[in-house]
Amino acid sequence: MKNLYRKITLFGMAAATMLAVSCSFEEQVDPNGPSVDGVASEASIGQLNELVVGVEASFRNGLAIETTASGTLGRELYLFDADPRNTGDLLGKNGIGLDNNSFYSTGQWNGSYRCVKNANLLIEAASNTSAVTASEQNGYTGFAKTVIAYELIQMVKSYGQARVDVADEENLGPILDETAALAAIRTLLDEANSELGNASIVFNLSEGFEGFDDAGSMREFNRAVAAMAAVYAGDGSGALSALNNSYFSLNGDLTVGPKHAFGAGGNDAQNGVFKVPSPAGGDTNIGDNIIVHPDWVNDAEAGDARVAAKSAPTPDPTASLDGLFAEFETRLYDSPLSPVDILRNEELVLIYAEANILAGNTGNAVAGINRIRNSAGLSNYTGGNSTAELTTELLNQRRYSLWGENHRMYDLRRYGLTNTLPANEPRPGDQIFDRLPVPLAEEN
Amino acid sequence: MKQKNFNYRMLLFLLLFPCIAFAQNTISGKVSTDNGDPVAFANVIQKGTSNGTTTDFDGTYSIDVATLPVTLEFSSLGYTTVEQSVSAEGTVDVTMQESAQALDEVIVTGLGTSIKRSNAANAVSSVTAEELVGTTGQTTVDGALYGKVTGVNITASSGAPGGGFALRLRGISSINGNNQPLIIVDGVYINNVEIPSGLRFASGANRANEENGANRLADLDPNDIEDIEILKGSSAAAIYGQRGNAGVIIITTKRGKRGKTKINFSQDVGVNKIANRLGMRPWTAQSVEDVFGAAEREKFEAVLATNGQLYDYEDIIYGETGFINETRISATGGGEKTKFYVGGGFRDEEGIIKNTGFDRFSMRANIDHKISNTFDLTSTSNYVRSNASRSFTGNENEGGLSYGYTLAFTRPWNNLFPDAQGNYPNNPTFAGNSLFVRDRAKNEDTNNRFIQGLTLNTKILTTDTNRVKLIVSGGADILSNQTYVYVPETHQSQQGTLNPGFIAEGNNNFTQLNTQVIGVWDHDAMGGDLGLTTQAGMTYLYQDVNNLLSIGQGLLANQTSIDNSAAQSFNQFLSREKDFGMFGQVEGNYKDQFIATIGYRLDKSTRNGDPNEFYGFPKASLAVNLANMNFWNLEAINQFKVRGAYGETGNPAQFGSTFTSYTSTTAGDGPVGQTLAGLKGDPDIQPETASELEFGVDLGFLDSRINLEATYYNKQVDDLILTRALPGSSGFTQERTNLADLENKGIELAISADVVKSENFTWNTRVQWYKNQSEVTRLDVPAFAQPGAGFGTGLGTFFIEEGKPVTQLVGNIDGVLTQVGDVEPDFQMAWSNNITIFKQWDISFLWQLKEGGENLNLSRFLTDLGQVSPDLETQAGQDRLASPTNALRFVEPAGYLRLREAALYYRVPSKLVENIFGGTVEGVKLGASGRNLFTETDYSSYDPETSVNGGAGLSSGIEVTPFPSATQVYFHLNVNF
Repeated sequence: MKNLYRKITLFGMAAATMLAVSCSFEEQVDPNGPSVDGVASEASIGQLNELVVGVEASFRNGLAIETTASGTLGRELYLFDADPRNTGDLLGKNGIGLDNNSFYSTGQWNGSYRCVKNANLLIEAASNTSAVTASEQNGYTGFAKTVIAYELIQMVKSYGQARVDVADEENLGPILDETAALAAIRTLLDEANSELGNASIVFNLSEGFEGFDDAGSMREFNRAVAAMAAVYAGDGSGALSALNNSYFSLNGDLTVGPKHAFGAGGNDAQNGVFKVPSPAGGDTNIGDNIIVHPDWVNDAEAGDARVAAKSAPTPDPTASLDGLFAEFETRLYDSPLSPVDILRNEELVLIYAEANILAGNTGNAVAGINRIRNSAGLSNYTGGNSTAELTTELLNQRRYSLWGENHRMYDLRRYGLTNTLPANEPRPGDQIFDRLPVPLAEEN
Repeated sequence: MKQKNFNYRMLLFLLLFPCIAFAQNTISGKVSTDNGDPVAFANVIQKGTSNGTTTDFDGTYSIDVATLPVTLEFSSLGYTTVEQSVSAEGTVDVTMQESAQALDEVIVTGLGTSIKRSNAANAVSSVTAEELVGTTGQTTVDGALYGKVTGVNITASSGAPGGGFALRLRGISSINGNNQPLIIVDGVYINNVEIPSGLRFASGANRANEENGANRLADLDPNDIEDIEILKGSSAAAIYGQRGNAGVIIITTKRGKRGKTKINFSQDVGVNKIANRLGMRPWTAQSVEDVFGAAEREKFEAVLATNGQLYDYEDIIYGETGFINETRISATGGGEKTKFYVGGGFRDEEGIIKNTGFDRFSMRANIDHKISNTFDLTSTSNYVRSNASRSFTGNENEGGLSYGYTLAFTRPWNNLFPDAQGNYPNNPTFAGNSLFVRDRAKNEDTNNRFIQGLTLNTKILTTDTNRVKLIVSGGADILSNQTYVYVPETHQSQQGTLNPGFIAEGNNNFTQLNTQVIGVWDHDAMGGDLGLTTQAGMTYLYQDVNNLLSIGQGLLANQTSIDNSAAQSFNQFLSREKDFGMFGQVEGNYKDQFIATIGYRLDKSTRNGDPNEFYGFPKASLAVNLANMNFWNLEAINQFKVRGAYGETGNPAQFGSTFTSYTSTTAGDGPVGQTLAGLKGDPDIQPETASELEFGVDLGFLDSRINLEATYYNKQVDDLILTRALPGSSGFTQERTNLADLENKGIELAISADVVKSENFTWNTRVQWYKNQSEVTRLDVPAFAQPGAGFGTGLGTFFIEEGKPVTQLVGNIDGVLTQVGDVEPDFQMAWSNNITIFKQWDISFLWQLKEGGENLNLSRFLTDLGQVSPDLETQAGQDRLASPTNALRFVEPAGYLRLREAALYYRVPSKLVENIFGGTVEGVKLGASGRNLFTETDYSSYDPETSVNGGAGLSSGIEVTPFPSATQVYFHLNVNF
C-alpha cells in the first residue's frame, strides 16, 4: 500500500515537472509599438529623425483647446459644440468655478508637455549615440530646446506658471511662477541658440518649416521665440536685440514664419480651429462652431480689414445655444488642413512695437503700430505718445491681428486689464477668469 | 506480485493501451416516488466511485459493480438522496422523497471533482435551466441572472438588443484589470470581450468603451444551459488561481440522457417596447420666446398651426414596437455507450429604435461516449452566428449621431423629416438629424463563433479503497467578429469636412485555447468512514487577439467601399497572452459530518512583469454538518451546517501594462515618426491578489421544506493595479502599477420554502437579500480621479481615495472635492415565486429591489442645456437650471423596485394531448410572460441601470444618453415529442 502512494505521488510529480519545464515563457515585447528604451542609447540617425517627426507632430497637441479655452476666457469667442462646459464652466455660468480636472484644463497642459517630453527624449537619444557628430547632435538638441521653450511659454500664457525641469519623469522640478519660468525659458533659448550656432541639420521637417530648416534659419526662429519671451519678461532691449537676429522684417511679408502643418492621414492631425461655415441662407451651424464674440466685431475701428477676413455674420443671428447668440462665426482658416502660424512676422512686428514701448523708443513703436494698421487698411495712428496710450493702441492691434490665436487672455492679464472684461454678460451670473487652473494630476 | 501488476498497468496506460478487467455483478431495479411514480433520469452511483448510471424513463436502472457488498447512492434533482447498501446481485427497488431544495445536488469545487451541496464549505449559487429561462424569454445569459443569485450586481450598460452587461460578484475586485468573472462553459474558457466598432472616429466619443458594444457572452444561447454554478469569491474560486479574482461562472450545457429519444420544440413570439417614456417639455409660446427669442416662437407657432402638434421625437425615435421571434428544436437521448444532445435555435429580436436588432443562430452537439470501462469521452460543440445592429447612442462629441445627445438639442418644432425626394433637412440646432441617422447610418456587427470542448476520462486504477483517474481536457473558443460603421457623406456633421462620409470595418479575431490535465485519487480510509479525494493537475491558457480596423473617409455618393474612399486609415491592436498553472488539493470527508479541504495553486502569466515567476494561491475550508452527528435529535432541523472557507486568487495586469512605448505619427503628411504613447508601463508589475474569508451557516427545516443560507465574507484585494493620471508635465498622462489595497465586506442571505404543498396547489417562494461594502484600505499615492471613469471632477467622477468606497462619486463643489454619491447599493433583494394550481397552471414572478446607490445623470446636463428637460416648465426645474452645473446637480438616487419576470403557463393535460395528437406528442405547454414589466424608481431618466462606459472597470452609474431599456412581453409554445 505504501508503495502505491509513493508511485502515485512520483508519477504525478514527474508529469508536473515535465510540463512545468517545457513551459517556459519568453521575454515579452510590445507587438503594437517601439519601446522607449530601444532608442535611449545608440539610436541610429533614422531613429533620431523619427523622434524629430514626433516632436513636430506633437508640437500641435492641444492647439485647438488652448485657443478656444483661452479665447472664451478672454471673451474673444464662444465654442459651440457637444460639450456644454465650453459655454458653461469657461464663462463661469451661474457662478461655477473652473475645474482643474476637466478637458479644458488638462488638454493643453498634457498635450504640450507630451511634446516637451518627446523633445527631451530626442535630446537624450541624440546625446547618447555614436551615430552623429557633435555638430549634428547640436542640430537635434538646438531644435528640441527651442521647441521646449516655445511650449513652456504657452504654459505661462495659459496657466500663469510652468514646470520647467521635466526631463526626468521620476524627479520633476517645481512649478515656477511666471517670472522664474520666463527666466529659465530665456536661458534655455540662449543655450539652444549657441548650439544652433555650431550645428548641422541632418533631419527633415514638414513643409510648415519651409525656410526654417537649416541651422541658420532655425537659429532665426530661436531668436524670434527669444524676443517673444523677452517682451513677456518686460525686457524691451533684450527683445530688440533678439529680433535683430530673427526673421523679423518691419516692411517685409507679415505672413513669414514657421507653421504647424496638418495632414489627412490616419496618424496625422487636422486643424482643430477650423470650423465648417454655416451654409449661406441656411441655418446657423450651432452644433460645432466657433462663434466670434460680438464685442470683437463691434469694437473694431471702421474699415478694419481683419474683421471681415477673420469673421462673418451668421445666416441666422437669432440662433442660440445655452443663452448665447451666434451673430458672427469664424473665418480664420479655410480648411481643416490650413496651417497654423507658430510665430509669424506680423507678431514679430507687434513684439517690435511693444519692445520699443518698453525701451522708450516711441518713434519705432509707432512705426511698428502703423505697419500693422496700414496692413489692415487703417490709417496711421493718431493718438498720444505716452506709454499708456501706446500700450492701449498696441494691445488693440494685437487683439485684431492675433484674434483666435491664444493671445488675448494673456495680453489682458499681463497688463492687469482682465477686469475690463464685462462680467455678468451676456448672462447674469457669468464670471471672468484670467487663467486656467493647473491640472489636478500635477499634485500627484 | 501486486507491485509488478501495478507497474504493468501504468506502463500500459502511458502507451495509451489500457487493460483493466474486473469481475462484474449486476444490480437492477426501479426507482419511484412515495406515491409510486417512476423517477426518471435519477443518478445511481456506486458510492465513493465514479461508477454510475441513470434511471430510464420508467425509473428502472441497471448497474454493474466490481465487488460486493456496495453502497448505491440514488440522487435526483428535487429529491432527497437515498443510500442503499447492497450485498448480493439482483433486484433492488428504491423509493425517493421529494425535497424542497435540491440539497443533494452536486456542485463543483475544484477542477476535477464535485461535492454535494450539503457538504460544501462555500455559498455556491446555482441557477438551473428552469430558473434561468423557465419563466420568460432571455436574450443573454447575464441578463437572465437578475435576481437569481445572491452577491451579484448586474448592470445593463445599454438597452440595445443583444445586451451589454457588467456582472460583478461580491463587489469590485479590480479597477483597471479584468473584473468580469471567468466564464467556463463545459470546460472551455469563454471570451467575454466587449469589441469596439470604431464609431468613435465618427462620433467623437472619447474612448472605445463609450461605443456601447455588447459583451460577447451574448453569443451563448441561454436555452442550451442545464445549470450555472457561481463561485463568487476567492475562497471558492481559489483553485482557479490567477483567473479567479472576480469569481468564476461555471456553465454546464444540456447533456444527453439514456432512454428514448426526446424531441422538444418551442416557439416564442414577443415584443419590445420602451419601458419608460420621459415625455416632452410642455412648451408654451411664451416659454419658447423667453428661452429662445421671438424668432423661435414664430417657428413654434408655425409648426403648431400646420401640424396641430409638436414633433415628439422621443416617440418618433424610441417608440417602435420591436418583434421578437425565437424558435428552438432539440433532441436528446442515448444508449448504453453513447448519449447525445443536439439542438438548434434561432432568435430574432428588433429593438425599440427602427433598424436596430439582434439575431442569433446557434447549433449545439453534446456527445458523451463510453469507450470502455476505462475510458469515456465527452465532446461539446457549439457554432454561433450572431448579428447586431445597435445604431448610435451614448456619449459623443460633435458627431451628431447619438440619438439622445442630438435630441437634447433638437427643439420639437424642428422638422427633421425628409422631403418628397428623400432629402433630409439639416437639424438647425445640432450637428445631426436623428431621422437621417436612423434611416441611413449603420452600426452593425457580425460574429462567427465556434466553441469546442473535449474531455477524456481515464480510470487508471479501481480497487476497493482506491480509485485513480486522469482527466485530460481541452477547449477552444474561436471568435471572428466583423464590425461595420457607415455614416453617409450627406450626414450633417460630415458636410464640409475635408473628406465627408465615414466607413469603418473591423476584423477582430480572437483565439482562446485551454488545456488541462488532472489526476484524481479517491481513497477510502478508516473502513470507509473517511473519504479522501486528492487531485493534482496543471492548466495552460493561450489567448491571441488581432483587431484590425480599416477606415475610409471621403466617400463617393452612396458608395460604401473603403477602397474607393479618398483617405484610408487603419488601427490595429495585437495581443498574445499565455498562462500556466499547477494545482493540488486534498479533500477529506468524515461521515458527512466534517468535510475539510486544503489546496494550493501556482500560476505564472506573460502579463506579469516577470513572465516566469510563479505566484502561489492557497485555500482551506471546513464544513461541519451538526445535524449528521450522532447526538443530533432535533427532528425539525434536518440540516445544520456551519462552514468557513479561506482562499486566495489573483489577477495579472491587463495586456501591455509592462510596456512603455512610442506610437507612430506624421506631421503634415510627412515621413513617419514616433511620439510617446502616453502610458508609462511598469516592467515589474505584479498580479493583484485577493484573499477572502467566508463564514456561513446553512439550515434545513422540516425535511428541507424550509432552507436558510447565511454567509458573511471579507475579501481583501492587495496590490490593486491602478491606472492613474501622472502629472502631465512628466510627458506621460498615465501610469499603470500596483498602488492600493481594497476591501469588500458583505452579507448574503437566502431563504426558500415550500409554503404550500398540496395536490392542487403548490407554492414555492425564495427571498434573497445581500449587500456589499467596499473601502480602499491603502493608497500609495494621493487620492485621484480615476481616468476614463467619469467626466472629471467638474461633472463628477469615480475617485480613488483611502478610507472611502471605491465606488464613490466625487465632484468639485465650489472648489472643494466632495463625495456626492456612491453607486454601490445599500442592499439588494429578490423575491421569486412559483405557484402551481391544479397541476396544470404555473404562475411565477420575480421581484427585484435595489435599495440605495446613486447615479450621475449627465443626460440631464444635456437636456437642461438644450432646454428640453420635461420639468423645465416647473419652478423646481427652473431652480435647477439656475444652479451651477456641478456633480451635486446631477447626482440622483438610483434605487428601484422592479417586476423583473412574470409568467403564466398552462400545461395541456396529457390525456387531452393524447386525444388530439395520438401518441406522437407527449406534452404541450402554452404560456405568456413578461420581462421588466414594472419599475418604481426616483431616478429621472430611462433606467437607473446605466453605464456610459460599458462593462469595464469602474463604469456603471454614469449616464449619458443611453439606449432606453425595453419591456418585453412573450407568448410561448412548447411541445415535447
